[in-house]
Amino acid sequence: MITLVLNGLEVKAEEGWTLLETARFYGLEIPTLCYNDGLSPFGGCRLCLVEVGEEPRTKLVSSCTYPAEEGLIVRTDTKRVIEARRMMIELMLSIAPYSKTIQDLASKFGVTRMRFKVRNEECVLCGLCVRMCAEQMDGRAIGFQNRGYNKKIATPFDLRSEECRLCGGCMHICPACQLRCQGPQADTDVCNACLTMDPTCLDVHDELQCWMYDAGRCGTCVREAPAGEEKK
Amino acid sequence: MGGRKKTASIKELETLIAGLKAERNSEKRPVLTVSAGTCGRARGSLKVIDALKRSLQKERLEEKVRVRTTGCHGFCEAEPNIIIFPGAIFYQKVDANDAADIIAQTVLNDQVLDRLLYKDPVTGEVSCVENEIPFYKKQRRIVLGDNALIDPTDINDYLSIGGYSCLAKAIISMGPEEVIAEIKASNLRGRGGAGFPAGSKWELARKAKGDLKYIICNADEGDPGAYMDRSLLEGNPHRVIEGMIIGAYSIGAQRGYVYVRDEYPLAVEHIGLAIEQAQELGLLGKDILGTGFDFDLSIAKGAGAFVCGEETALISSIEGKVGEPRQRPPFPVVRGLWGKPTTINNVETWGNVPIIIDKGADWYTRIGTDGSKGTKIFSLVGKINNTGLVEVPMGITLREIIFDIGGGIPDGKQLKAVQTGGPSGGCIPKEMLDLPIDYESLTKAGSIMGSGGMIVMDEKTCMVDVAKYFLNFLRDESCGKCISCREGTQRMWEIVKDITEGKSREQDLALLEELAVAVKDASLCGLGQTAANPVLSTLKYFRHEYKAHIVQKKCDAMVCQEIVSSPCQYSCPISQEASVYIALTAQGKFEEAYEVIAKDNPLASICGRVCHHPCEKVCRAGELGDPIAIRALKRFVADWAVQKGLRPRFDRQPQTREKVAIVGGGPAGLTAAVQLARQGFRPTIFESLPVAGGWLAKGIPDHRLPKSLLDHDIENIKNAGVTIKTNVALGKDFSVDDLFAQGFGAVFISTGAHKSLKMEIRGENAEGVIQAAELLEAVNLGKGMTLGRRVAIVGGGNAAIDAARVAVRDKNCKKVFILYRRTRAEMPALEEEVESALEEGVDIQFLIAPVNVLTENGRVRGVECIRMKLGDKDASGRRRPVPIEGSEFTIELDTLVPAIGERPDTTIFSEEDGLSISKWGTLEVDLKTFMTARAGVFAGGDVVSGPATVVQAMAAGKIAAESIARYLEGKSVEREYRLTRPSVYIEPAELSEEELARMKRPKMPRLPRSARKKNFKEVELGFSEITAIQEARRCLRCELETEEGKNALGRKT
Repeated sequence: MITLVLNGLEVKAEEGWTLLETARFYGLEIPTLCYNDGLSPFGGCRLCLVEVGEEPRTKLVSSCTYPAEEGLIVRTDTKRVIEARRMMIELMLSIAPYSKTIQDLASKFGVTRMRFKVRNEECVLCGLCVRMCAEQMDGRAIGFQNRGYNKKIATPFDLRSEECRLCGGCMHICPACQLRCQGPQADTDVCNACLTMDPTCLDVHDELQCWMYDAGRCGTCVREAPAGEEKK
Repeated sequence: MGGRKKTASIKELETLIAGLKAERNSEKRPVLTVSAGTCGRARGSLKVIDALKRSLQKERLEEKVRVRTTGCHGFCEAEPNIIIFPGAIFYQKVDANDAADIIAQTVLNDQVLDRLLYKDPVTGEVSCVENEIPFYKKQRRIVLGDNALIDPTDINDYLSIGGYSCLAKAIISMGPEEVIAEIKASNLRGRGGAGFPAGSKWELARKAKGDLKYIICNADEGDPGAYMDRSLLEGNPHRVIEGMIIGAYSIGAQRGYVYVRDEYPLAVEHIGLAIEQAQELGLLGKDILGTGFDFDLSIAKGAGAFVCGEETALISSIEGKVGEPRQRPPFPVVRGLWGKPTTINNVETWGNVPIIIDKGADWYTRIGTDGSKGTKIFSLVGKINNTGLVEVPMGITLREIIFDIGGGIPDGKQLKAVQTGGPSGGCIPKEMLDLPIDYESLTKAGSIMGSGGMIVMDEKTCMVDVAKYFLNFLRDESCGKCISCREGTQRMWEIVKDITEGKSREQDLALLEELAVAVKDASLCGLGQTAANPVLSTLKYFRHEYKAHIVQKKCDAMVCQEIVSSPCQYSCPISQEASVYIALTAQGKFEEAYEVIAKDNPLASICGRVCHHPCEKVCRAGELGDPIAIRALKRFVADWAVQKGLRPRFDRQPQTREKVAIVGGGPAGLTAAVQLARQGFRPTIFESLPVAGGWLAKGIPDHRLPKSLLDHDIENIKNAGVTIKTNVALGKDFSVDDLFAQGFGAVFISTGAHKSLKMEIRGENAEGVIQAAELLEAVNLGKGMTLGRRVAIVGGGNAAIDAARVAVRDKNCKKVFILYRRTRAEMPALEEEVESALEEGVDIQFLIAPVNVLTENGRVRGVECIRMKLGDKDASGRRRPVPIEGSEFTIELDTLVPAIGERPDTTIFSEEDGLSISKWGTLEVDLKTFMTARAGVFAGGDVVSGPATVVQAMAAGKIAAESIARYLEGKSVEREYRLTRPSVYIEPAELSEEELARMKRPKMPRLPRSARKKNFKEVELGFSEITAIQEARRCLRCELETEEGKNALGRKT
């Protein structure tokens, strides 16, 4: 067992626990977005930041990736943590303002302004879909492409991946909806199940087959047929 | 190469080294050492080597002279350079054509070729050998120095200077623990940037559990402008390999990697060759030197991602994964490459190891400061005379690096800041030049040591633009894993970009700062944690520049295109749309051009003649050739309008608004009056002289500015709705209170500066001493004045030149001197005026100051002068003149005209006026609004600024008029700043390359000297129509380079 100090309390943690696991074990709430119990920790959303070390040489680390260490002093809700966290939420909100998950986080942490230009990308590159595909679905159909501000989620070479089994896991886990069905697009789109399925959901609305587990929410099956074409 | 015999034992290695050493020492042949690193090759050093070899062949000397191809010698500015042994003669910037001479003269005849020697750009001193060159003198080249001694592709060269003997020493007489103890004692800190003690890292690595351990040399050098690691790998790869073998031996590592970016082909080639040769010699591989120690090394090539310099990302990259950092702990020394303990050090750190083993920690710790030992290599680049790699002891000051080693700033410009540590570093302002360079002091100053990039910036650098540049680099190089770094750098870049485009508001600065702190705090790896440094450090020292961009829409360095638009309009105090009227002139649309001029300038013909044209000083055409003759073009258009009888069409409002009193009818008063009249106010000018125009009327002689033109412009001003009352003076005929009592809603005081300064020397009140202002007024207003035969004017301003040229035209006058205490370079008068004065026979004597007026019966008979020399710079940046004792001499004179400046006459203001006067004797105003201490009373022009130029006074009048209008409308007088933009975009002239090459700035046609004698005919004659159109076509049309400009003409942005 490892002994560490968590918000002033001496606590014990199992070997191999992260700080997030330790904190949650003791009932301390730390917000997360890119973290999921069933997936490997990523450390990308920077919401689970905690302050570790002793003054004046403390630093912020992501608790989902930081291992519990003997004698470590951890504080989960310092001013510095909260300010950084709020800025992360504001940054995410400005690129995915319609995400319910992010809106909830903003509301919870009192982020009421969006001071950056809104970009409506509906993806914060949390990588949940990538890890879901690889780790739970054994798919590896999607991954990160490029780096820096050009980074995006895509299939290899932007072509429909043969690895994709149309399981919908990526959409299921997405907190920001970019991958949610937006109707049939070019073959660069991740899924395009509506085109490949027989019969396609463009023609027939089938509650059982709907990827959204929420018939009609994506709007594909109920949308108007293009002009001049009769709806079957 | 090849067929090298494996050395089976340390003894064998030592024998080999001793043999090669002896061979080197007994070398009698001359050696030509040519630098051929990447930079040398880019400058043609391979061609030089070729030419040298050919020349040697021709002279049948191939066997008698050795040409050694080495890596970089560090002095990039002097590439390609050759050091000739014996004697170590240093030739710089050698060309292939010099080869024959070098062989024939230097090698065969011991003659030094002067033209190839290094000449100091500042002092002009010539240096013959490397050590004498200032660039090398203060350096301590313990790591880089050997670059000049060896051919990096030949291991024997390295062995012959004692290479790999440190490895032998470490194995025979030290043992792993002792090596680590020695490195720890040396306090060697990681040269990659963070400065972690290498010895401690090695100790941890040695203690780490694991059957397989790795060491890595981090050569992923990616900072813009930094290339010290490349130079070491290219020039002395065995040094790094030896360091790594010693490291592996002490840590117990079996495998090593050199992680080097593929953009360094020469470094990859040389380190590859070096590894091969070391393997052949048995220095790498199984059972090294028969000690049972196995260690092998290979190259891992990186694709050039900046983030892969971060150790965990680097490990990912070697493993074949995406180069993204991961959480530490676990640190690589515990779990690194493929989960095994891994020690990563930078190229320079490994390169330091052999020296420490060789000379001992004691010796090593004598170099440097308490916390930082040894030397550091910096790549000194940017606006610096001696660009190059410099290796200096820790603790050296920035001043020594920049001025002693770097040779200062080119083109006589001023240093502004130094950027250290690459994109993650920060900018250190020139005020901190005496900062000793070590890890701690740089961090304290808000920058970092980094891997050693050092970018010098001069006054023409915009610090906001610098921040933008680095943020752009970082937003591209961020791996994108953390939202804080990926989005943070992108958003910081967006904000800073908006600032450089004049699109931001003040609150954006607070957001920028808040974001910067969050990015620094929240990011996972070193890249993100330091990504805010470019912003934070520039904000720390250059916040005023950010503010100027945001609030005043100004970029003093004139770098930010979206703010500057066209430099001519930007730098014009009254924001004349020079590029627009030039474009219209180029199309022959003179009437439209005149309207564009008249819109902002009620004194067009005057400015076309006497303006000090700041526009031409910043004209971009002048950066490569001559600036556009903007003033002459304005004059051409204005003259054309006068000839055609064209009057400006001021779009006038009905004059129904408040009355405004304007005291003083000089350029400031006239401009303010016109601006107010056009907005419907009713301005009245009160002028103390019989004519309006101020200094224009009384101070500038007809040979420069014919009075008829002034009358023409003043008539236009009257037509615009301005009432002018002459012969009424403030303080004598009325007071400020009187004006308000008469119903004026606001008062603008622009009474100028007309009181001559005294020379404060004996005899200056004698008869025959005439103040320049007095002389000019008498001549210009037709009163006349009698001068003697010999006249001397004291001073170097435009008034001095005007007075001298008036004197030349005087009937009695035979000889005119100007006595100026500085040199021509410091003279404030307009260059073309000085030129004309010289042409007309004025004898300008420099570095002379009067000390005593010699009199006879109360009349001037001469002046005693003293010679001066230039000393240190004073507050104005000019070199202060210092008298040379004992150099006094006398000049015989009849008339002495002091023209050393004027100041406002403040006796006209009484206490009741409620104005406040500064200690310089000027009226105090809020310089943004030109309002005085008394509400409703504004002031501008020379009475506020002291003697300045026409257009500066006009600018004051223009801005004050805006404030007065806001004041009378009951609004806040606070000035609203606008971006510099033209009112209309005109299609540019199509020019062929050939036409462009042929075109030159025309010379202003002038009256022949003979026709100027004893008369006041205008000297400058103005351009002809064809000349004007041709010159106008030469304009680069900078305003079309903004986004708005491109859009307006339908070009793609």
